[in-house]
Amino acid sequence: MNSFSFREHRPSILVASLSAAFGVSLLQVTTNLALAITSNDVLGSSAALTVMLQVIAIVFIVIATYVGAVVTANTFSTIIAGRTRTIALLRLVGATAASQRRAVASEGLMVGTIGAIIGTIAGSLVTFGLVLVGIALDFIPSIGYTYLEPVILIPIVGVVLTTWIASWVGSRRVLLVSPMQATGAALEESREEAAGHKGRNRFAFVLFLIGTAILALSVVVGMQSPVGVLVGVFGGIISFTGLILGAELIMPPTLRLVGRMLGRSPAARLAAENAVRYPERSSRMTIGLVIGVTLVTMFAVAAATFQKALSPMADAADVDPLLNGIVAVFSVLIGFSALIAAVGLVNNLSLSVLQRTRELGLLRALGFTSRQLRQMVTSEAAQLTAAAVIVGLVLGIGYGWVGAQSFIGTAPGVEGLMAPVIPLWLIGAVVVAGATLTAVASVAPTRRATSIAPVVALSVE
Amino acid sequence: MTEITPDSLGLVARVAQLTKSYGAGSTAVTALDDVSIGIRKGEFTAIMGPSGSGKSTLMHIMAGLDTATSGRVWIGNTEITGLQDTELTMIRRRRVGFVFQSFNLVPTLDIEGNILLPFELDGRKPTSGERGWIDELVGSLGLADRLRHRPHELSGGQQQRVAIARALGSRPELVFADEPTGNLDSRTGREVLSLLAASSATYGQSIAMVTHDPIAASYADRILFLADGKVVEDRTRSTAAEISEYMLGMESRS
Repeated sequence: MNSFSFREHRPSILVASLSAAFGVSLLQVTTNLALAITSNDVLGSSAALTVMLQVIAIVFIVIATYVGAVVTANTFSTIIAGRTRTIALLRLVGATAASQRRAVASEGLMVGTIGAIIGTIAGSLVTFGLVLVGIALDFIPSIGYTYLEPVILIPIVGVVLTTWIASWVGSRRVLLVSPMQATGAALEESREEAAGHKGRNRFAFVLFLIGTAILALSVVVGMQSPVGVLVGVFGGIISFTGLILGAELIMPPTLRLVGRMLGRSPAARLAAENAVRYPERSSRMTIGLVIGVTLVTMFAVAAATFQKALSPMADAADVDPLLNGIVAVFSVLIGFSALIAAVGLVNNLSLSVLQRTRELGLLRALGFTSRQLRQMVTSEAAQLTAAAVIVGLVLGIGYGWVGAQSFIGTAPGVEGLMAPVIPLWLIGAVVVAGATLTAVASVAPTRRATSIAPVVALSVE
Repeated sequence: MTEITPDSLGLVARVAQLTKSYGAGSTAVTALDDVSIGIRKGEFTAIMGPSGSGKSTLMHIMAGLDTATSGRVWIGNTEITGLQDTELTMIRRRRVGFVFQSFNLVPTLDIEGNILLPFELDGRKPTSGERGWIDELVGSLGLADRLRHRPHELSGGQQQRVAIARALGSRPELVFADEPTGNLDSRTGREVLSLLAASSATYGQSIAMVTHDPIAASYADRILFLADGKVVEDRTRSTAAEISEYMLGMESRS
């Protein structure tokens, strides 16, 4: 019934393509890396190394795909909000809510499939290019490399399925559309109800508490043995899962706090209100970034704290380059998830401006200058980015510190608890990335917002 | 003629030889065809006409929301023809008020925030005199216990009263109302019209209301009829029956 619109789904296809390309390429690279390493090792068994590298790769792929799915669920939910009238009209003439939702989900399946195909091709091309460069630089030997290993089906199928599920989750509000909304000028819909999420929020809170308790335990265990870090990994996964599920409990208050920091000008005040207008949407919009910033911060802080603890020791100099290398590679790999989250943020901000055409026209009619409108949209972008960055930094420093502390509690020279070491480059990189994202995210929406004629506020659909 | 200011004629807004056309060549549509009118200070003026008569376009241009193809426009003594966007914005912010048919409140602000929005946009707080006036408006419009509510928690009629409070709050020179009763049931619509008429009669508020509803127009002091982009009639207060009769006559004449 709803014809598939490429234009409408372009951002979701982009996100699915990015996730698939990342997964496919990462697995191809790790597989070929294992081949290269073992090629000049007669005794080496490439199979074991390949599997080990692939397991690590899949962890990063799962993170990227999860972030991609969250972004897509959000995009779909925003698209549905914009389609309310059409859906209401179809409901009016007799379509059931369930059939409408299924129609949306089938669009999701289509988006996932198209994205997976584009991503597979793009990812393979990237790998091919990397291999060529690697051979040209004599970095890897010129042997036969492989691209079509069955393992790459994991990210491909994963992207199709998660995009499909995400479109289903994001289309929940189809069920809330009443046929009445097709008649007359419906009032601005009330805020999204969070009622259905009470159970989930409670579960998230319990997970967070249990996880935090295990994290505390890991620090205690770490005083006796480095095994503490394994306990810590377990606790970290549980508590972070709780935080992500409970994003609606954390992000809106943070957004309010950041909103207050933006000042009292009318543009900033309206922006602050807009950012928390749909708590569910803004939580999803920011949580992907939170995940990225948290993980990058965690690795950086853990490594820096670890290095500081080891610095009095003789062999510290040998460990440093290896550790820095690992942190750099992990940062890049996680940075990719953050990129996907950023795409989602940019897109959602654009869509929300598009859907607020009347309201923005009203503000223009009442005397908002286009400059103020631009400030308002930029403030919204800044607020979303800053909230995500702040939460991510706080969490990442916490997790990174627990990780380092639980591992090195028994190291010679470490007495009791160490303070976390926060590398300056990290703060600089996060601030620059956040500012860039804000600037990029506001370009298209501000252009759109300032092109709105005040007359649209008076027109009747 | 050009030496006489609109003010000295007792006008709060005026348009002269106004023409507005869309498109070009054979597909050109003329929405306004050489219209010259003045809106008198302190009066409640209704601009009437069937759909497509150009009444909304006329109001948009008078309010500085749209630009004319040719002709001149004044708000008070200020000619707004050819003003830049920012200057027009300042005119809208400080000198005119609006009541729209629908979607007229900012959903993220509470009722008080919406009423004070024109001051907020201007980056200032209402003076104590203005504060007193707003309190009086809020009281007489029955909104006193609604100030902390959000727009979606109010009925259509209540929302429209909030819009009226917002439009009158800054005591603008002229309030433009675009089909203010279009989305209301007839009883609530009559209440809103009485409020507009009373604010004009009691406080001397100048109001220009666009409508196609003869009952709405019957609340006005003066009624301008538009048809096919031209002013075809200008009469004083009339009953809904008289207005309907004239409208029907307009149909048969065309």
